[in-house]
Amino acid sequence: MRAPVMFRFGVEGQCLFRPPLILTTFPGDSGPGHRFANGGHDMGRLRWTAVGVVAVFLAAGCGSDDDPEVAGPTTDAGVTTTTGDDAPVTEGGTVVVAISSDPGQLNPAITTSGGVHTASELFFNGLVDLDENLEPVPELAESWEVEEDGALYRFNLREGVEWHDGTPFTAADVKYSFDEVLVQLHSRTKASVGAAIESIEVVDDLTVEFRFGQPYAPLLQQLNVTEAPIIPRHIYEGTDPMTNPANLEPVGTGPFRFVSYTTGSEIRMEKNPDYFEDGLPLLDEVVMRVIPEEGSRVVALEAGEVDWLFETPGPDLERLRSSGDFEFLETPVNPGGANCIMTVSFNLDRPIFGDVRLRRAIGHALDREQFLERVLFGQGAVAEAPISSGIPFAHGDVELPEFDVEEAERLLDEAGWVRDGDAIRTAQGVEGVEDGTSLAFDFLHFPTFTAYAELLRAQLREVGAEVTLEPLEPPVFAETVFTNRDFDTNIISYCNATDPEIGVRRMFTTANISTVPFSNAAAYRNPAVDALFDEAQATVETDDRAPIYQEIQEIVAEELPYLWIVETIAVRAYDADCTGFGPSGHFAETASCEQ
Amino acid sequence: MTRRYVLGRLVQVVPTVAGILVIGFLLIHLAPGDPVLALAGENGDAAYYSFVRAKFGLDEPLANQLLTYCANVLGGDLGTSYTQGRPVLDIVVERLGATLLLTGTALVVSTAGGLALGLLAASRPRGGRDIAVTTMSLGLYAAPVFWVGQVSILVLALGTGWFPVSGMTTAGSDASGLAHAADVAHHLVLPVLVLAAQEIAAVARLTRAGLIDELGQDHIRTAWAKGAPPRIVLMKHALRRALLPVVTVIGGRVGHLVAGTVVVEAVFAWPGIGRLLVTALQARDTPIVLGVFFVVAFSVVLANLVTDLVYTRLDPRIRYR
Repeated sequence: MRAPVMFRFGVEGQCLFRPPLILTTFPGDSGPGHRFANGGHDMGRLRWTAVGVVAVFLAAGCGSDDDPEVAGPTTDAGVTTTTGDDAPVTEGGTVVVAISSDPGQLNPAITTSGGVHTASELFFNGLVDLDENLEPVPELAESWEVEEDGALYRFNLREGVEWHDGTPFTAADVKYSFDEVLVQLHSRTKASVGAAIESIEVVDDLTVEFRFGQPYAPLLQQLNVTEAPIIPRHIYEGTDPMTNPANLEPVGTGPFRFVSYTTGSEIRMEKNPDYFEDGLPLLDEVVMRVIPEEGSRVVALEAGEVDWLFETPGPDLERLRSSGDFEFLETPVNPGGANCIMTVSFNLDRPIFGDVRLRRAIGHALDREQFLERVLFGQGAVAEAPISSGIPFAHGDVELPEFDVEEAERLLDEAGWVRDGDAIRTAQGVEGVEDGTSLAFDFLHFPTFTAYAELLRAQLREVGAEVTLEPLEPPVFAETVFTNRDFDTNIISYCNATDPEIGVRRMFTTANISTVPFSNAAAYRNPAVDALFDEAQATVETDDRAPIYQEIQEIVAEELPYLWIVETIAVRAYDADCTGFGPSGHFAETASCEQ
Repeated sequence: MTRRYVLGRLVQVVPTVAGILVIGFLLIHLAPGDPVLALAGENGDAAYYSFVRAKFGLDEPLANQLLTYCANVLGGDLGTSYTQGRPVLDIVVERLGATLLLTGTALVVSTAGGLALGLLAASRPRGGRDIAVTTMSLGLYAAPVFWVGQVSILVLALGTGWFPVSGMTTAGSDASGLAHAADVAHHLVLPVLVLAAQEIAAVARLTRAGLIDELGQDHIRTAWAKGAPPRIVLMKHALRRALLPVVTVIGGRVGHLVAGTVVVEAVFAWPGIGRLLVTALQARDTPIVLGVFFVVAFSVVLANLVTDLVYTRLDPRIRYR
């Protein structure tokens, strides 16, 4: 008995031995069981059969990628009727939403994590919301006054608002949320409002005042449920907000109330019948399902198991569109932030990038339309200015380098990078660079941005630059780029958010050259730009701020510390029987579904 | 088999698990990528990062952190999750049930299925059934779990609508008791089949080999000579001994199943600890990662111990001193 003897050696410790399933020996076939044995021929036939089987599986396995279209027609086992957006508004019903990660906890005030916010924003409110044009509209605050040129903001709160447990909402909740939680634990608020605020005063139960050391323009853009959700003081005061058990059973003022949270699986919420917006919400229930794999989420939508996806992968878009069972909503709000631009940074501390002509040449060598088509499948737009078109008042009117290979080559020649035929360029008289050095540099990126990286490398090879790609997981990327500054170029999705003060300033000011991730990666230093940003921060009227941002963009479009490639959008997909969704935050507040 | 032996083996569990925890701890902390950046996210300022670092004790020297952790574990405290602010033990225990259900069922299915297929194949070696079983085994063994999972979803779930696409329960279901159990069972079918696929193949091959070997032995020949029916010969005389290699490997197979469960849980959105581990790794949430290591290491070591003890029952010739 040979087989058991082999295993006996493994008995004492861990058995890591994998049974021999290879084609060579079949213990017992040619052993003492000669009753059935017939030696060579049959083994040969069996071996070839097995080889054939393996080959078939290998071919099938190699042919497919993430979403094998090998088998399975794209039939929809679920919905077959379509009604379009003129469906009558019906009350009631349940919407099932697919989310990509288990949030872990449901308090959006203590973190900026996209997973937590997506799952929990329906339970809460901010003071002020923003409409499609990013204009402030009332939410928990009914009206407000801006005084002292923006150094004092007074908010008059809505009357009769209650927390989900019946306790009345008051100004004290606002003060508590900001002072004890948001300014301490919500990183974006801490860095912006937290740095500028002097004090928050409760004038009476329904009036609260924010006082700043100097005029602070962007406050109204930072008070929605994503940036500054208000949480209940009577539950959190005196406890550690990060470990309070209410983080798993949230109590808010929002359109939906918490029902249950099965970790790793689903979050259930029901309509808040006492919501302060009359007649809303329309749905009875929202269920959030955790489905980590992108392919599985799309399949779940097609099967009718979920009704709403926050993002649709490019390759699946065509198929879903043509089925006619789904509607789509395009929005610049991604899980990572809003109004994001894929941005290439140059490490300006490295001598190779000292000459703006080289940077401009690289800009001319990039065909950004191709990025839009190949990487984004047409979803999004080519970036036309350093500030996103999603912030209309600040979106600049500037000229970024157009795709022009001849101009790129001319600039490279002029800058001293000579080319011998089709070879990689070498330096000849470039300041700070030894003669004969190749035009070669590295390019760091998240693994999810590999498509951008490969396209960039191919396009730059055309003009004689050799790019080495380095995919790095986000924490490692952040450490390498911002803590160690060990990179030549990289690509980052810089999200501008709803005001340049929130997401744009950090890219350009000298003070923001730090180890904090997603700050000024290029290490761009320009005192004129610093001064302009300071001026913009202190100017409250958007009409007055616009020309300042225009000037900033004209300067950086000349100096090109970065190259702005494409503006990204997310495409939400949902069951065509439903309508009335918003892009994010309270996306289901006005939604309804036909039954 | 003496009681002393059993106790001795149980005691051995402790240094094994401890060793795994220490190595795991060091590996995670030495891996590139600052956990503070993962925890605190973007947009913070330097003060915020210092605050987070201090809060989680990440500014202490590595040796101190390791000692603190070991001391806590001995006291029964597996630490507190960085991202969830809850005790790791609670989090892991919450998700453990789902994984045990999945891997346990897969273990049973793969053992039973593998034995049945192995018997089928061995009953007439190199006959039609044998070739079919062998071919199928090789195919299942070679195919990547991820691919098998995706194909099964496309064909058996989306295509035919027989099975649900993902999850452990129907979304928003209020079912309880028997209805709930039925719902879970319905959702369990595809993940179990996919997870068990490779193991069925392994067990089938092992059983077949062991049986064929065994069937050549003298005592089997005696049984034939005495006119025993084929079924008795196979099941009563040959199978018991042929089970030995299958049982021995269970310990290792539990390890494989746990590894496979990470992929299966991701593909089928099954809310178990495999998925928990992956998420925690990406977020550098060390306490959860180590907590999952602890549970997995403990289970595998225990499975091996049980295997060894069961082994002696199957083969009376084996004794431990």
